[in-house]
Amino acid sequence: MTFEVEVSGRTRTVSIEGVGAAGPEGGQFRVTLDGVCQDVHARATDLGLFLTHPADGRSVDLALTERVGAEWLLKFPHVTLSAVVDGRRFRRGGGGPAPVAGEQRVTAPMPGRVVRILVKPGDAVTVRQGLVVIEAMKMENELASPKAGRVKEVAVTEGMSVESGRLLVVVE
Amino acid sequence: MPRVLIANRGEIAVRVIRACRELGLGAVAVYSDCDRNALHVRLADEAHYLGPSPAAQSYLRIDALVDVARKSGASLVHPGYGFLAENAAFAAACRDAGLTFVGPRPEAIALMGSKTAAREAAVKAGVPVVPGTAAPLPSTAGDAAVLAEAERIGFPLLVKAVAGGGGKGMRTVATSAALAAAVRAARSEAQSSFGDAAIYLERKLVEPRHIEIQLLADEHGTVLPFVERECSIQRRHQKVVEESPSTALDPATRRAMAEAAAKVARAAGYTNAGTIEFLVDRDNRFYFLEMNTRLQVEHPVTELVTGIDLVQWQLRIAQGARLDVTPEQALTPRGHAIECRIYAEDPDEGFMPSPGLVRAIAVPGGPGVRDDRGVAPGFEIPVFYDSMIAKLAVWGATRAEAVGRLTRALNEYRVIGVKTTVPFFQWLVRQPEFEAGRFDTTYLDRVLAGRNGRPFVEPTAADQDEAAIAAALAAWFRAHRAAAGPGDGNGGQAWRRASRTEALRSS
Repeated sequence: MTFEVEVSGRTRTVSIEGVGAAGPEGGQFRVTLDGVCQDVHARATDLGLFLTHPADGRSVDLALTERVGAEWLLKFPHVTLSAVVDGRRFRRGGGGPAPVAGEQRVTAPMPGRVVRILVKPGDAVTVRQGLVVIEAMKMENELASPKAGRVKEVAVTEGMSVESGRLLVVVE
Repeated sequence: MPRVLIANRGEIAVRVIRACRELGLGAVAVYSDCDRNALHVRLADEAHYLGPSPAAQSYLRIDALVDVARKSGASLVHPGYGFLAENAAFAAACRDAGLTFVGPRPEAIALMGSKTAAREAAVKAGVPVVPGTAAPLPSTAGDAAVLAEAERIGFPLLVKAVAGGGGKGMRTVATSAALAAAVRAARSEAQSSFGDAAIYLERKLVEPRHIEIQLLADEHGTVLPFVERECSIQRRHQKVVEESPSTALDPATRRAMAEAAAKVARAAGYTNAGTIEFLVDRDNRFYFLEMNTRLQVEHPVTELVTGIDLVQWQLRIAQGARLDVTPEQALTPRGHAIECRIYAEDPDEGFMPSPGLVRAIAVPGGPGVRDDRGVAPGFEIPVFYDSMIAKLAVWGATRAEAVGRLTRALNEYRVIGVKTTVPFFQWLVRQPEFEAGRFDTTYLDRVLAGRNGRPFVEPTAADQDEAAIAAALAAWFRAHRAAAGPGDGNGGQAWRRASRTEALRSS
C-alpha cells in the first residue's frame, strides 16, 4: 500500500509492504520513504505501535491517536507530531496544506461564554490575530483569525452564552 | 466508621478518597450527568447523583450536597478546591445541618475571602502588604477620587476586583491617563463575573515572585507553617508549575515568611489547611497578597519535601485531633519537588481546551514520581469543568535531580485521545531560565508572547522521517484491522473494500 503522508508541512510518499506473515498484530515490513527502502518491525501495543529498525537496532515506542480528517497524533517519548495520511482524499483540490482562502466562518469550538470581542465589522485583521475571547472550561480562550482579511460580520455580543459550533465571526 | 462526603470531582476527589481510605474513613462521592463513570465515582464506597452537568446545577448546589450527606450518613464534608471550597455559605450550611466541614469556620472564610478585609487583617497582624487602598472603592467612587488614591500609591499599579481571583477583574495601569478606562473595564468584568463592582488599587511590583506558605492549624491553638512553595511560573495569572523549596529564598527569609503567615492565620482565628500567598521582590522583601482558605492544587510538592500528608491532617483536625508535627519537620525541606499541571489543552493552539475521549494513558512510574490523576481510560473529558487530566509531581535529592526526573517522567507520560500540555512542559524544562530557577511571575507570559505562535515541538529531520513511516504503518494497520475486524457482520464487505482500496493504491 502506498500512502501520501504530510508531516511538518511536507508531503512524503511512503509505501508499506508486509513481509511473510505480517498482519494486523504486527510483523516485518518493507518500507520505502521517498524512494529509499528499509526494513522495519512493527507490533501493535496498548498505546499504538512499537517499531524497531533491524539495520541499527533503533526502537521507537509510539502512542497513536487518530483524529478527524485523517490526522494522526504521534506521541514519541520526546516529541509529539501530527501527520495527515492521504489528506487529499479528504480535501477538495490538490496536495500540500490547503490554502486558507475565501470567506472564513470562525465558530465556537466548545460551549462557553463570550467575554470579549476584539474586532468590529470592517476591521482589517492579520492571520492569527485574536478575534473573540471565549470563556470555557474555566479558561479564557482567544480565537484567532485563520487568515488575513477583513471582518465581515461579528455574530455575537459580549456576555452571550454560545453552544459548540455557533458562528462567532466571519472574516473575508 | 465515620464517612466523608467529598463535594468535588476529578483528581482532588480522588486525592481525598485516598486519604479517607488510609485513615479508615468511608468515602462518599457525588457526580453530575457527565461524570457518571468518572474515576472518583468508581473509587468511592458509594456515589450519589447531584444533577445536570453544568456546575451550577450539580457541584455548586449546596442544598443537594447537604441532602446527600444526610442520606448517606456522612458526618464530614470535604470541599476539595474550587467549586464551593471557599464559599462561607456552604461551610455555614454544613454546620447548620450538624455536619463537620473539613476546613476553616465560615467566619474565617468570609473574612479572608474579601481581599480588602484580608489585607486589613494582615496589616493588623504587623505583616507587610503591597502599598494600596485601605478600603474598597465602591461603584459610586468617581474618577477624581480614584485618581487621587492612585497618585498616593504611585504608578504602575493594578486595579483589582475586591471579589476577584484568577486574574479576573484585574487591569495593569502604567500612567494616570489610562486609569479611568482600566477602572471601568475592571468594574464591568468584576460585576459580570462576581456580581460585585467594588475594586481596589495596589502598587504593581516589578518582576515579583509568587511564593506561598502552607499552613495547618488545629482547634487547640496550634498553627504550623510549612516550607514555602514557589509558584512564579504562571500563564495569565494561572499557576502552571509549582516547586518547593524556592530557589530565591535564604533560610532567614523563609523563617520570617513562615512567622508572618502564622501571625495572619492566628489573627483570623484560622483552623484546618490554608495558604498565605506573598509577592517577593528582587531584594527578598515580601508582601502579603491573599489567603486561600482551602487545600491548594499544588499541595503535593509540600507533602513530597516534608513527608507530611496534608489531606490526612485536614481530616484529623476536623475530627478534633491535635497537631503533633514538630515545627522543624514542616519547615525543613528534604530534597526538592516540582509539579506540572497536565491539562487537556493544545499548547500549539494558544492552549485551547481539547476535550474528548481518553482512550489510553501511559503513566510514568519509577523512583520519585507521583501521579495524581482524575481521569481513567474510557472517560470523556467534559466541557463543563476545567480540563485538568493529572498533576505530575517529582521528587529529587537536589533541584537538578528533580528536573532530570521531571524530564524523564514527561517523556513517559502519554495520553491517547486528546491533546495535552505535555509538549509545552517538555519545552519548558529545557529553557535556561527554568533550569537555573531564575524567573518571576512575568517570565512565562513574556517568553510565550515572544514565541509568536511558534510550535513548542521542533522535530528534527530524523523525527519527521520516523513520523512519516509510523503514520503510514498506522494507516496500514488500521486498514488491515478493519478488514480482519470480526463480529460486526460487515467483515466480508470490509475485506472487499480494503482489497479494492489496495488495488487502487498499489503501484
